[in-house]
Amino acid sequence: MSTIIASTMKRFEEIPHTADWSFRAFGKDLRELFANAAYALFELEGARARPTAHETARDIHITALDYEALLVNWLTELLWLQEVHREMYPRCDISTLTPTELRARAFGVPFQHLDKIIKAVTYHNLVIQQTAEGWQAVIVVDV
Amino acid sequence: MVTKQDFERISDCVYQVPQKFRGDMRVPARLYASDELLEDALQDDSVKQLVNTATLPGVVQYALAMPDIHQGYGFPIGGVAATRAPDGVISPGGVGYDINCGVRLLASHLHKDEIASHLRDLTNALYKNCPSGVGSEGSVPLTAKQLEEVLERGSEWALKNGYARREDLDRTEEFGCIPGAAASAVSARARERGREQLGTLGAGNHFLEIDHVAEVYDARTAEAFGLFPGQIVVQIHCGSRGLGHQVCTDYVNEFQRAVRHYNIELPDRELACAPFDSPEGQAYFKAMAAAANFAFANRQILAYHVRRSFEEVLAGKVKNFDLFQIYDVAHNIAKIEEHEVEGRRVKLCVHRKGATRAFGPGAAGLPADLRTIGQPVLIPGSMGTASYVLVGTAKAMTETFGSTCHGAGRVFSRAKSKKSVRGEILRQELEARGIVVRAGSMSGLAEEAPQAYKDVSRVVDVVHRAGISRKVVRLEPLAVIKG
Repeated sequence: MSTIIASTMKRFEEIPHTADWSFRAFGKDLRELFANAAYALFELEGARARPTAHETARDIHITALDYEALLVNWLTELLWLQEVHREMYPRCDISTLTPTELRARAFGVPFQHLDKIIKAVTYHNLVIQQTAEGWQAVIVVDV
Repeated sequence: MVTKQDFERISDCVYQVPQKFRGDMRVPARLYASDELLEDALQDDSVKQLVNTATLPGVVQYALAMPDIHQGYGFPIGGVAATRAPDGVISPGGVGYDINCGVRLLASHLHKDEIASHLRDLTNALYKNCPSGVGSEGSVPLTAKQLEEVLERGSEWALKNGYARREDLDRTEEFGCIPGAAASAVSARARERGREQLGTLGAGNHFLEIDHVAEVYDARTAEAFGLFPGQIVVQIHCGSRGLGHQVCTDYVNEFQRAVRHYNIELPDRELACAPFDSPEGQAYFKAMAAAANFAFANRQILAYHVRRSFEEVLAGKVKNFDLFQIYDVAHNIAKIEEHEVEGRRVKLCVHRKGATRAFGPGAAGLPADLRTIGQPVLIPGSMGTASYVLVGTAKAMTETFGSTCHGAGRVFSRAKSKKSVRGEILRQELEARGIVVRAGSMSGLAEEAPQAYKDVSRVVDVVHRAGISRKVVRLEPLAVIKG
């Protein structure tokens, strides 16, 4: 079962930022928010999968102080896996998400092209908020 | 939201948000700017970020920003904050992800007319010999042991291994090696990222440029630095690559716990910090110094490839194709320095994030031949526009903890640049102006379009007028290489 994506809700939107990149991710619940934030990373990088490539499952386990720190660590982990395996992770299955722990399986596909590499995920002004439609978070990344 | 009315004007080019502006400020926040650049700074969150840095525990005198200030994360880019050492804090966000991103300037003995017919070949040779672009892998793969040595010895490692000359190190900030670096403070992940990346330019705003000296403002200092009108010079702008990014990521994350442990209240989690003398603060300082040393070695190896490229193309065609080093400066760094604060010499941890050291005559840490002159300060412009060589001044030592601006500073976002500028058209425009361009990615080129930046000349005019550094020469580009 994949965490993404049953709802018709917008998955993310880019927000203007003078020097780096910022985006707002959405989700009907926190798992979907985390999955959509991951999806946004690879969309922003302009990552294109190699045709006919097979998926490789990567298991991820993270503990952190709170949801915000978990989100930063989750995205950072995906960028690390991207660099090591030269893969992108448009699809993932988040099996556990508590305020201090995340367990997930990300499905990696080798990419053939990246427009841009995201260097790091920052904590800058990071707040995960509940809205009438679900959840959202604004994330600033260093490029 | 900070508005123009919130500023006091201290002097012609100095504006200040007083400490009373916000209850959590420990010192005022000071901005070097012209009226026009102040207006630019108020267009995004950069001044709010500057005010946030004025809340750091142990910050002294004022939080500073240079006229190229623009919005970053945590600290603004163009920011300088000095904290008391050892009891004030050190903040990884005050250095940034690209630790010791910086600029090196090499100078030739050649006039631009002598290489006009070889310019395209030179550009191609540089593009071929200096690995650049997204995920570029280096020309100097390292064993784990060699990497440790690079981290602890920086340019000294490059010298020992035939990539440098002794005089290159003399003309490098900190002589190419920050003392106190410890490879053991750098995580396994950071090391893994670094092992394959030594001697690479990377992507983003990093570049290699062949320039000529277009105008001399201060003939005596230019001559002392080794610069003359029409001279061919080469700029190298890059940093510590994935290794530095990982060090910053690791410690910003670890410091989230330190902030709780030391009961530090912050307006933004990206400002996460720890007392300099705490175990966490010391570990970060050792790791940051190691990443900075990696960056010095990285620029040194690229300089070696630039020299090799000049030889490959020009040997037998010109009398002297040698390149000597004018200087190498860091513009994302935290350093332990002594400065005068309220009449007393004190030890400080000076965070420069998008700011350059600008030590004046007599300052400690300069090589003997520059001690009476001040250090060369290298200010790259945006792609296709002018760059400057300045000299550090005594006034910088008393007013700005020996610091000045670092570049043009962005005015609009990368997304907007990409929407309004097409990379291929931009390349054609630059080529029409006689500038040879080699770029790995046209969309990357578009993001760095000159229109996205402030006019570097206006930025440099402010620091010159304010006296915190002085114009020596202006450089104009002939060829640009981007990842």
